Amino acid sequence: MRQLIVHYWKEKVRSPFWQKSIFLNILLGFVAIYLILNFIALSLFADKILLNAYPNQSVIFSFSKILFYYFLLDIVFRFFMQQLPVISIQPYLTLPIRKRTLLHFPLIRSVFSFFNLLGLVLIIPFFIKVIASTETVSYSLCWLITVISLIFINNFINFFLKKSFSKKPLVVIVLVALIGLLLFMDVTGTVSISIVFANFLSNVSLSGFWVLVPLATLFFFYYLAYALLKNNAYIESPENKVNANIGKFRTLSNKGVIGSLIGSELKLILRNKRPKSVLYLSAFFLLYGFIFYNELYLDKIYMLAFVGLFVTSALAIIYYQYVFSWESSFFDTFLVQKISANNFVASKYYLFALMCTVSYLITLPYAFINYKIAIVNTAMFLFNVGISSIIIFYSGTFSVSFIDLGKSQFMNYQGTGAHHFIMMIPLFGLPLLIIWLFDSFGMKDYGIYALGIIGALAIIFHKYCINFVSHQLVRQKYRMACGFRE
Amino acid sequence: MIEISNLSKVYGKKFSLTIPTLAINKNELVGLVGNNGAGKTTLLSLMLDLIPATNGFVKSKGMAVSKSEDWKNYTGSYLNERFLIPYLTPTEFFEFIGGLHGKNASDIALFLKENEAFFKEDAYDKTYIRDLSAGNKNKVGILAAILPKPEILILDEPFANLDPSSQLWLKSKLKELNNNGVTIVVSSHDLKHVTEICSRILILDNGKLVKDIPTNSNSLKELENYFNVSSI
Repeated sequence: MRQLIVHYWKEKVRSPFWQKSIFLNILLGFVAIYLILNFIALSLFADKILLNAYPNQSVIFSFSKILFYYFLLDIVFRFFMQQLPVISIQPYLTLPIRKRTLLHFPLIRSVFSFFNLLGLVLIIPFFIKVIASTETVSYSLCWLITVISLIFINNFINFFLKKSFSKKPLVVIVLVALIGLLLFMDVTGTVSISIVFANFLSNVSLSGFWVLVPLATLFFFYYLAYALLKNNAYIESPENKVNANIGKFRTLSNKGVIGSLIGSELKLILRNKRPKSVLYLSAFFLLYGFIFYNELYLDKIYMLAFVGLFVTSALAIIYYQYVFSWESSFFDTFLVQKISANNFVASKYYLFALMCTVSYLITLPYAFINYKIAIVNTAMFLFNVGISSIIIFYSGTFSVSFIDLGKSQFMNYQGTGAHHFIMMIPLFGLPLLIIWLFDSFGMKDYGIYALGIIGALAIIFHKYCINFVSHQLVRQKYRMACGFRE
Repeated sequence: MIEISNLSKVYGKKFSLTIPTLAINKNELVGLVGNNGAGKTTLLSLMLDLIPATNGFVKSKGMAVSKSEDWKNYTGSYLNERFLIPYLTPTEFFEFIGGLHGKNASDIALFLKENEAFFKEDAYDKTYIRDLSAGNKNKVGILAAILPKPEILILDEPFANLDPSSQLWLKSKLKELNNNGVTIVVSSHDLKHVTEICSRILILDNGKLVKDIPTNSNSLKELENYFNVSSI
């Protein structure tokens, strides 16, 4: 077991990703600390806040109700974001280590995940300040055990959900919808499960004996996760991976080199886990409009432009931020085959334009909210196709890290580098700067027209833009290929 | 056909490949042998412009491969898995490569039919390349390299992971291609294969070209002696 921990640690520390992007890790570290501090503060002042909001209820009761919401949302967030600790089991299977140890290891490791820590910092300050100081010892103890069990029940439920449903998007949608419905009914007061939950929590704590129920549930879910891992502990035979998804896009290959490159890239998106999950993720960005298109923001031209930039290019920007990294595992193919850099970039440019067009058309109905949106989005659409594409492609030539196409996108920073953060400056800054220039001369709305015209010009002269990127690609190709091979 | 002059590639302090001069003539079948780390793959990668040379250059038909891309039109190559597109089926991959050289689906079907003994394509037409076994990936890569009817063929360890009948097939295929005028460079660890098919053998050791010999009936003995001595 100790050896396993050492190996796990080495795997993490020696992974090229960790060693390369220290910058990104520091950034993530700050976000984590910020979240933890927020949760501690929230927990410490929860009694005051809750007393203000619900003066008629006991603070513990209100807190329990809030916990119910927290646990529900926790499951959803865990499902999408928590990475299960996987130690690649294959090299150990034939060694004289008991299989049971190998299976318990990832389960126990998952106990130390960030999500569990978040749950604990939300509960413990409140527990010390409010419960432990006012209630009896047995009550406090039972309360704490129950709540902590619930956190870890979520942890192990997630194993179960991830292993069984991650390949079936429909089930995920149903699950999210179900939780949403529960929350909705609770908030509107139709059926309030949170009250049931809060009562349950207080009864369990009062009775003492019943604390065995959450504990038993915890062990049940632990066992369930264990059984699941055990079933998956055999190396999968590749013969099972037969697919029927062939023969598509064949017509594209009749359209010359660029056509077959586009066809190949479409297959890349549809047949690999990570690009596919990018597609799902970007669908959420299309919904951004519902948050921002309201009275509060409709007069703010900067905000409209910003949201317009995003919703008309959601697919393209998110997918193409890894523009050349997607091909990292077979980048050498493009170096030795009869494919010019120009055609390679051009195929990506046309697909980028296609994706923008799709998201532009999908989001056009937002114009029913206000006609302004149609104007802004059209301008931003032209700007995206003409200028944003070139900024993103240019930045893509600086990527040197390998991407594993088979992993999920959520909380996956493989392939992310400092250039992504630098890229954001011109990507978002340039359009806002142009609007600001016009704004400072008192011609606010003309900024938008200017963006549209600049974009249209760039589209007309797209051959030059593509040339510009492909020259850069040729300059960078050895460096990129060398990084991708690692 | 291929000329190398003053070529060197330096990796840190530990390893460097230096080849003052080497010319590979048209219609030669050159075998490249050497122990692990001798620089075989580095040399082949330099010939294909996959890595930049520290000094000097490789010329193909008189043009430096790092300057002009013309060599891509007449050079077929397979070094490793990174030459394959993992999410395509073998057929789609052949069509993709063939398409770049103006071949249509029926040309490719004919080509695959001719080489059916090596790779039975219809047995794997529903499998993505990433799910193929190492030997089958190797076969797909080799076929994709000879599909465009190249004038120069560069293969790294083509016999690795192949079953016995495929090894025999590949040997006779390489000879046949060579008889039809194709210039071939193959690296291999198998001295027997190399002496059987190659007309010229190069031995690399620690980044240096230590032997350059034409093949004759004594070659196998000579090679075996060489590697025996150097390993002790």
